Amino acid sequence: MRIVIVGGGISAVYLANTILKKSPTSEVLIVSDETHPPYDRIHLCALVNKSQCVESITLELHPKVRLELNQTILSIDGTAKRILSSHAVFAYDKLIIATGSEPKTLFNIEGISNASTFRSEKDSEKIADGIVGKNVVLVGVGPIGLELLDTLMQSPSAKSITLLARKEYLYSQDLSREAIALLRGIFEQDPRIRIEFNDEIIDKTISDNTIKSIQTRHRIIEDPFLIFGVGIDPRIDFARQALECDKGILVDDNMRTSNLDIYCVGEAAQLRSSGFIAGRVKECTLQAEVAVDTLLGLETKQFVQEVSIDGLKVGSFLFADVSSPSYNPKDPDNETILITHENRVDQYIVNHDRLKRFIGINTNIDLIHLKRLIEMDKPIDAAYLYSNRLHSGKGRLVCSCESVYEAELVDIIKLNAITSFGGLKPYTEAGRVCGRCKQDITALIAATPVDAAMAQQLRAQREADAKEAEMALVRARIEKYNKIHPKNQLSFENLEEAMESFDMGSEFNKWVSMITATMNLHPGYEEVVKEGVSQLNKIPIIWLELADCSGNSEGFIKSSHPKIDDLILKYISLDYHELLMAGSGDQSETVLDNIIKYDAGKYVLIVEGAVPLGLDGKFLRIGTKGETGHALLQRVAQNAAAVIAVGSCAYDGGVVAAAPNPTGAVGVAEALGRTDIINLPGCPVNPINIVGTLLHFMMFEEFPKLDEKNRPIWAYGARVHDNCERRGHFDLGEFVLEWGDEGAKKGWCLFMMGCKGPYAQMNCSQVKFNEGTSWPVQAGHGCFACGAGKIAFDQYANHRPLAKEPHE
Amino acid sequence: MSKNKIVIDPVTRIEGHLRIEVEVDEDNVVTEAWASGQLFRGIEIILKGRDPRDVGLIAQRICGVCTNVHYRASISAVEDAYSITIPQNAEIIRNLVTMALFVQDHIIHYYHLHSLDFVDITSALEADCAKAVTMAQQYHENPYRNSEGHLESVKEKLGSFVKAGRLGLFSNGYWGHETYRFTPEENLVHMNHYLEALRIQHDISKAIAIFAGKTPHPQNLVVGGVTSVADMLNPQRLNDFMFIIKEVREFLERAYIPDIKMVVKAYADSIERGEGRGCGNFLCCGGYRLPNKEQLFVGGVITGHDFDAVQAFDPSKITEEASRSWYESNPPSSPYDQDSTPFYTDLNEDGTLKSEGKYSWVKAPRYEGKVMEVGPVARMIMGVVKESPVIKPYMDRFMSESGMKLIDFSTSVGRNAARAVEAQVCCDYLFDFMSDLIENIKYYDETTWTKYVFEELPTTSKGAGIFEVPRGILSHFVKIQEGKVSNYQVVAPTTWNASPKDATGQRGPYEEALIGIKLSDPSRPLEVLRVVHSFDPCLACAVHVIDTKGRELSHYKIQTVCSV
Repeated sequence: MRIVIVGGGISAVYLANTILKKSPTSEVLIVSDETHPPYDRIHLCALVNKSQCVESITLELHPKVRLELNQTILSIDGTAKRILSSHAVFAYDKLIIATGSEPKTLFNIEGISNASTFRSEKDSEKIADGIVGKNVVLVGVGPIGLELLDTLMQSPSAKSITLLARKEYLYSQDLSREAIALLRGIFEQDPRIRIEFNDEIIDKTISDNTIKSIQTRHRIIEDPFLIFGVGIDPRIDFARQALECDKGILVDDNMRTSNLDIYCVGEAAQLRSSGFIAGRVKECTLQAEVAVDTLLGLETKQFVQEVSIDGLKVGSFLFADVSSPSYNPKDPDNETILITHENRVDQYIVNHDRLKRFIGINTNIDLIHLKRLIEMDKPIDAAYLYSNRLHSGKGRLVCSCESVYEAELVDIIKLNAITSFGGLKPYTEAGRVCGRCKQDITALIAATPVDAAMAQQLRAQREADAKEAEMALVRARIEKYNKIHPKNQLSFENLEEAMESFDMGSEFNKWVSMITATMNLHPGYEEVVKEGVSQLNKIPIIWLELADCSGNSEGFIKSSHPKIDDLILKYISLDYHELLMAGSGDQSETVLDNIIKYDAGKYVLIVEGAVPLGLDGKFLRIGTKGETGHALLQRVAQNAAAVIAVGSCAYDGGVVAAAPNPTGAVGVAEALGRTDIINLPGCPVNPINIVGTLLHFMMFEEFPKLDEKNRPIWAYGARVHDNCERRGHFDLGEFVLEWGDEGAKKGWCLFMMGCKGPYAQMNCSQVKFNEGTSWPVQAGHGCFACGAGKIAFDQYANHRPLAKEPHE
Repeated sequence: MSKNKIVIDPVTRIEGHLRIEVEVDEDNVVTEAWASGQLFRGIEIILKGRDPRDVGLIAQRICGVCTNVHYRASISAVEDAYSITIPQNAEIIRNLVTMALFVQDHIIHYYHLHSLDFVDITSALEADCAKAVTMAQQYHENPYRNSEGHLESVKEKLGSFVKAGRLGLFSNGYWGHETYRFTPEENLVHMNHYLEALRIQHDISKAIAIFAGKTPHPQNLVVGGVTSVADMLNPQRLNDFMFIIKEVREFLERAYIPDIKMVVKAYADSIERGEGRGCGNFLCCGGYRLPNKEQLFVGGVITGHDFDAVQAFDPSKITEEASRSWYESNPPSSPYDQDSTPFYTDLNEDGTLKSEGKYSWVKAPRYEGKVMEVGPVARMIMGVVKESPVIKPYMDRFMSESGMKLIDFSTSVGRNAARAVEAQVCCDYLFDFMSDLIENIKYYDETTWTKYVFEELPTTSKGAGIFEVPRGILSHFVKIQEGKVSNYQVVAPTTWNASPKDATGQRGPYEEALIGIKLSDPSRPLEVLRVVHSFDPCLACAVHVIDTKGRELSHYKIQTVCSV
């Protein structure tokens, strides 16, 4: 798909990169009327004071994106799907307009040498070169005007600077008088600067394309350089004919224009539903996300305005603005709460006790917390704001897109000995979303001394602390289980003693080491694993057998270390298991009903076997009432704290669901229509994987990390082939070619005899079976990926390499 | 006369999904019984159309308990169809695994699946350990782990467990039932061995894994032989295997056999009353050639407890029918020709079986039209009446030491006695099989596979693998057409024993054995379980389907049980 983006700013780049990230095969073209590749307008000030050149504020663009510069688009031909510039035509499948806006001026300044707007790299250059020794007149008190004023203040170029304010405020009409006074004071510390309120240009003298003097209501300024920062208009003239427009190009909530192949985002777009036009970078990137997802058919999410965190990029003070999308400056019910202290102003605007906006100068309040307060939209007590200055211990918020604070950044920099902005990338996305704070971060990196050796030490310390904290959590959990069944007398304190009486002290320790290693836990965990084991019997377990062969139960009772007797007596409270339990019929049913009733939400359900759905589930009936296996499963699963499907049949039907699946068998997850079932496939499952999973659940209150098939990664993350004892022979090309041949006697690779180890994601080669006695590859037979589920029985359960199967 | 129906479902401590319903009269005596398999999977349908070399890995999943005998029978059926004779070493390795399975299976069955019908775990807590030590010595001069200190620790272990309030598997058992006969000391000795047996069965599975890769569901067989040649040639592996078996032999000699003698004595009244006595028809196919050319088990047919008239076993006299099973009714026919369509008539609305109609997924196999009991009891009786030099010495010794007569074995307690003796026979002969294997290797016979070229084998054929397995006779039948499996059928031991009634009204062996049993408390039907468990039911094996016509799901045959 060929996607053309018109525009040369941050939105255009964000769009292009996002498209290629989500759909790498797309063809993306950016058409821009500038001479430079897209750069970050936010940092134009840096060009004015020449602290940066345009190359250094150029935005990072995916290498696959094509770029056409110097192309001013004049019109859109929506029928033929192409756009035209004065000397070229570009065809598109989808078009995205991100042309942003153009600055307003109070009179035409085209061709005038000492007047400029402030919107582009060219403007910056003109200002930087033009203001030397001049009396600068800056018109406009919005963010652009103030940021530029701050920039000019840092440079000795200008002779004097006059800021003209048509009314009596700075930044926004909502800013409190105290804050305005504070800002004015800060700026006017520079004797060259004067802020004139209630003033405007009333006349000017122009000759030789140069403004000789400017007359305002209050004064006359000779030899001026005039800069307009008075506002912007969407830049959409080229689109007015082809698309429905109002102030901006009208779009729906998915950013689609009246032509569904054309999208528009950012300052050029106006939402049809609310009339909203984006102004902040964050809003633009959100719109870009929505447009890309809709265009690629990925999601149908719509653009919703979020609480914004904004501020001024100024060096002389900190300025932050957090605002709710539902904030209406004209609402008469708005109330302002002002807290000032020295050169600090915290201004809260509340409406019916709900926080709507916060503007802070030199504040150190945790902005993310304020953002959450606004998002919650719940009544707050003004006293709370007074008494709680909501200090952020993490310093100022540097990156509002990624919510990264100064202290956190310094931490990352020190911990990883980072010396450049590029070096930061693996650790945080800060500075890379809207780019607004990139310069701040670069400065922070430069200002933070680092030492590689120290960083390493710090990292080690940090890891140790994290481990300690995690263990503390596990201990708390084990403590919690202690409280669940106070009748149980086994505790960590008497565990040693208990083990002695079972004559299994050393064996137990061996087992703990083994299971700790198998679960990929640090050896430091052995102590807590031991404690965890002592609590395993606090979890009531129901083991249901459905359409099965009892193979998993058989495997389980052959479990080793601890041997099964201790396991069932001490470590696992296997309360219901048809193969082993004493009671039958009514007696066993009563046990089951009692667990469901009295241990609701606490018991773990283990299911073995497939669930036949054919014949209304009547291929399997259990219990005196003749309940179907499916109904029983649903009833027991409902109140279970967790459901574990053991064996390949419970995973996806396994051999019972192999072609032609005579009984319509499915796995547990499918039968229940749930996505939170833990799968432990295998035919049968290795018992160590059951015990490990239960242990993990107990210790961490959650199941181990799962893969996309809900299998614990620690058990199913590695390929049999990669850890196979015969792998060396595979690499050397030494293969068994006939059963019982010389290669077979020497233990060569079984791949040519149809071993499916390369297709099996299991830990058999590491833990083996029957107390590590052997496994199918050791027995010279090879693996058939029994844990892959029914596909194993349809495609892998044979002695031929896959490629040789004609139907595959 | 008012009759009450008692439903037991699930029957626990068995493999699979079995329901038993009994009807009792006003004296709580069972007057009629129904045994019903409640799960149908259709493994045979799945096997159809596959490459014959591949049947083993799927057929073994008929049962996770008897897994390796189904594995072997299915591979053997294919070898039979292709007339492939496997090397001696392969035969021996298969026998080592099968025999080890017999021993393991019998131990698990008795201690973990059945003994709680005889043993009251709560009474064991009142035992006097010193007395228990002396008591056990009546049954063996050196009982297995019988020190007073050890028994104390077992008692303590059980005690802390019971007191902890979480009985786990032992909750809601039949504790305190009036038909329990053991003294507290006898109960304690049994519970001691219950726990030891958990370890022993686990050790045997290690022995099996040495040659089979893993268990359950081993992977070491291929059409033509076995794959575990490297293990066979590793003296350490052979040694490990024998060390485990030696330890097991100790357990059988000093725990299992003495414990069974204890049951025989304590439950003498039950034997006397003939509780659990069935039809008296016994069927054996025999098998397992020993190094001296003798067969380990002898084949034969006995009817009506007539031990003087043994007929030769003839597989062609086996028929199956389904008049009371959930398949369309057809006249009885050979398993090869069974042609049945599932015809599920459901349960009654209250969830009970439709006792006048069809009521089970298990079909009814018959021999010359008669219902037959298979399993250790059939094999041990047959060994005695046919004077097997292998079996008879063991049986004679046990009968003389326990005072049992041959007819006594045909009871619930007797089945257990036969099973224990059989475990001992199998365990002892493992040593013979092993020395045979070592002899072969010593003389450089390292062959484990018979070479054949698959493309040159006949594309149309049929074959059978028929074996004695722990629970009785297991038969796998395969038909091959155009190089693919065109029909597959299994008749397993539990199919015989858990058979439902047939068109003539003959009850299956479980059902027949239940008639006349008196229940002391119909709400706690322990007596029924004692009878049913004595057969060692294995229902996963019992229900199977056969499709002879190539119509999916249109023909089912049930087989039964397996065992091991």
